[in-house]
Amino acid sequence: MKFSENGLYIERYIKCSNCGVLIYEQDAPQKVKVEGKEFCSDWCVKWSAERQQRRASK
Amino acid sequence: MDMVAMSILDSTMVSICREMGITLQKTSYSTIFNEALDFTCGLADKQGNLIAVADFCPAMIGGIPLLVKSCLKEIDVASLKEGDIILHNDPYRGGLHTPEHTFFKPIFFRGELQGWSIAIGHIAEVGGMAPGGFPGEATEIFHEGLRVPPVKIKSAGVDNNDIWKLLLANVRTPRTNYGDLRALIAAVDLGEHQMIDVLEKYGVSDVQQIIGDLLDYAERRMKAEIDAIPDGIYSFEDSVESDGVTPDKTYRIAVEVHVRGDQIIIDYTGSSPQARGPINATLGVSTSAAYNAVLHMTDPSIPRNSGCFRPIKVLAPPGTIVNVDFPAPSVGGNTETHPRITGAILGAMANAVPNRVMAAEGATHCNFVFGGVDAASGEYFACYDLETVGWGGRAFADGNDAVDSINGNCRTTPVEVFETRFPWRVERLALDTDSGGAGEFRGGLGYTKEMLCLNETITVSQMTDRHFTKPWGLDGGLEGGCGATLVQKKGASDWQTMCEAYGKISTSRYSNVDIREGDRVKLTTPGGGGFGSPQKRAPESLERDLRDGYISLESARSNYGYTGS
Repeated sequence: MKFSENGLYIERYIKCSNCGVLIYEQDAPQKVKVEGKEFCSDWCVKWSAERQQRRASK
Repeated sequence: MDMVAMSILDSTMVSICREMGITLQKTSYSTIFNEALDFTCGLADKQGNLIAVADFCPAMIGGIPLLVKSCLKEIDVASLKEGDIILHNDPYRGGLHTPEHTFFKPIFFRGELQGWSIAIGHIAEVGGMAPGGFPGEATEIFHEGLRVPPVKIKSAGVDNNDIWKLLLANVRTPRTNYGDLRALIAAVDLGEHQMIDVLEKYGVSDVQQIIGDLLDYAERRMKAEIDAIPDGIYSFEDSVESDGVTPDKTYRIAVEVHVRGDQIIIDYTGSSPQARGPINATLGVSTSAAYNAVLHMTDPSIPRNSGCFRPIKVLAPPGTIVNVDFPAPSVGGNTETHPRITGAILGAMANAVPNRVMAAEGATHCNFVFGGVDAASGEYFACYDLETVGWGGRAFADGNDAVDSINGNCRTTPVEVFETRFPWRVERLALDTDSGGAGEFRGGLGYTKEMLCLNETITVSQMTDRHFTKPWGLDGGLEGGCGATLVQKKGASDWQTMCEAYGKISTSRYSNVDIREGDRVKLTTPGGGGFGSPQKRAPESLERDLRDGYISLESARSNYGYTGS
């Protein structure tokens, strides 16, 4: 969630590409960026990759 | 861990939540609160963990944890004062949909923040493009009423009148809204006072210790339940039949449930991109729907708090029908898409725990909303009327008849109250024969309600589903009956759909149809799917159904192999 400088409105909603939770600015240190996608955690990066692999092999 | 002390405190806090709800019910103005009970009250610790909740609306119960956490990200907790009350309804920040207004009151004890008193209620009129808050043709959030980020409606016990004026200037029924908002405040006030009494009686240190134990206990209980489910990946798909604005398009809800030891991961990846119309679920809704399904499959004696939700992880990809992105609409996501998601999870889990799930229920609240100017009083009225559906058959029993959909736990407004408060005459209200899907355990029945318009004009809108998509059966059980909405114009003999009568795109989702005095509206609600082969139905149950008019002789013969007369 990127708020405007004055804090009165939201400039951009940032969500984890895998689980969809809002990523607030104060949580930014935990944020992971992979191939242009933003994730809330390493767990979500891993899950996303495994899901892709699993579904491709079906 | 002192089990006795924990049990006493748990029961005490749940009782407080129930009392909050009764206060809300008794002091509110609108029928959606004082008759339908479309609200929930809870308590949270200072970190925002849900520590107790009353058994009102499951959609809200599962929504509270994310709601509170999202709010705490935005408000300056350190600057809060005793008597502050925060209001919030933003669907993109943990909310469920614009009508769902959440009040948070910090609980201070001896100058220190100790927790939160919470009340969520569905405000019947929220402004926007249609009276009653369910514009079935909305294409953006701004059609769905006023969006309220976390703001203080009271500061240090004093009304923030600027906020009140803004809220009440943007709705059609300010007097009723004022009463309902006051009722929500009364509920959080009561929760605060009662928790202060608890802290006074037992002491802060003991209460904090016991609450920590209680959350851990709920987690352990839930983990033990999940651990007993065979590990595996269980999948299911269902669909929502229309978004109200796009012709001939359905929307997929894909569910993959991963059971891994004592954890459940529910992955919605593969669900349709978000719709243009208002059927999208927010993240709060999709999370709540997952919790709802798991609570249905597990021991109901597990304390309902954030601890029991810890072993459940929800993955809802953004920009989809299960996690709407700004500024797409979402009002129907909380009422229509939530039960479809929960049903899809139960459908998936039928492969793992068939004795703990049910066939599809009607999965709609029928959301018939209307408003207008009362000819007698000259005052604007608005109503959110919900109707009930048949539930699915189970491995041990028939589905319930005419019960609110799985995420609502609400009541219908009694006919007498409905007619007194609004200018309709209910001419018929009856269960529909054969609407329950045939099965060893039959689906519950839906019903039909016919109403005559008594006002010069009533403007109606609707958000419902299952006009074409039948509720599915399980284990050989057959599908339940569909719902319908028909209108009969004054003097006409035929009944028409909203598409036929008013050129609407969808029969189940539409906005702002003007019903005139003397016109009639007929609402038919879906039944539930059957469970198990109809051929296995106990003969005495079949005879009883025939005697009571639950099934017709024709259905008994064709579906159940009945040979009597």
